[in-house]
Amino acid sequence: GQEFQFGPCRVEGVVLQELWEAFWAVKDIVQAKDNITSVRLLRKEILQNVSDVESCYLIRALLKFYLNTIFKGYLGKAADSRIRKSFSTLANNFFVIASKLQPSQENDMFSISESARRRFLLFQRAFKQLDIQSAQTKAFGEVDILLTWMEKFYQ
Amino acid sequence: HTAENTSDLLQHVKFQSSNFENILTWDSGLESAPDLVYSVEYKTYGERKWLVKESCQRITRKFCNLTMETGNFMEPYYARVTAISAGGRSVTKMTDRFTSLQQTTIKPPDVTCIPKVRSIQMIIHPTSTPIRAGDGHQLTLEDIFPDLFYRLELQVNHTYQMHLGGKQRDYEFTGLTPDTEFLGTTMIFVPNWSKESAPYVCRVKTLPDRTWT
Repeated sequence: GQEFQFGPCRVEGVVLQELWEAFWAVKDIVQAKDNITSVRLLRKEILQNVSDVESCYLIRALLKFYLNTIFKGYLGKAADSRIRKSFSTLANNFFVIASKLQPSQENDMFSISESARRRFLLFQRAFKQLDIQSAQTKAFGEVDILLTWMEKFYQ
Repeated sequence: HTAENTSDLLQHVKFQSSNFENILTWDSGLESAPDLVYSVEYKTYGERKWLVKESCQRITRKFCNLTMETGNFMEPYYARVTAISAGGRSVTKMTDRFTSLQQTTIKPPDVTCIPKVRSIQMIIHPTSTPIRAGDGHQLTLEDIFPDLFYRLELQVNHTYQMHLGGKQRDYEFTGLTPDTEFLGTTMIFVPNWSKESAPYVCRVKTLPDRTWT
């Protein structure tokens, strides 16, 4: 079967297509709620030219943020059952991936993990510039940008 | 003073995309709207500035080809249409966020069906797209979707079909009865993106067997 290979971090047991189908089920609903079309949280400079080794640090930070700050807050407000269903599929799989990621904490990896942290901070800063409701809605609407990037590491 | 209702001027502003050809379409809610003109703008999601589509300014038709402008198939885009009536009424409506990699549909493949005496060969031609690689050459669907594969079926009779499939483009159904008509269908599948094309259908007759005549 296929697995994620974020550099040295390998994650089996997740079917990427299921994540896509969960997101597609609510894509238009969620993205239509985001009317700030001139702001993008997961900008190109955050996800472009990420080395394999760095990808493990970055994806872990992003998924933990999605779980703790976006999904956690959003679920309570998601009245639409379709959103809740796809929501839990995404949240469960993000949890599985995040918990299996064990990036090296060795000193010689400090510069790489720092580079990943700077990328993540760009995302977090953009998130904090919006009110929490708009930011959560926008971040949820950008799950396809995240999945498109994750796809590169799915083999 | 009640807000003027202009929603009837413009409806269903959306992208229709197949094989990465991205056409913006819309409707006018009015029965007939001879004096309405439309202007189109577009932008990449996250950009502040809307860009004018020059060849779709003050047009009367209800579609506009934005294939080149939305050519990065991983990027999310928006487009919007402004409808203006002769009386000066106007309304602007925007599409949903559009990413062609996710939303394009796949057209039926182009297939050549070649009948022989006891077999039928089916040659699938590569499907080129408007998407260009860095060096300028046009990408095919196979280039864009590494998991793309073909599925072929030959209807022999009401109860019996033959099946072939895979990533290659040359197939042959063998062991057939000479001088008999068959129905062949070919479809494209892209599992990772849950895409499948409509079937290409060819009706073809095997050649008569003249070996003993």
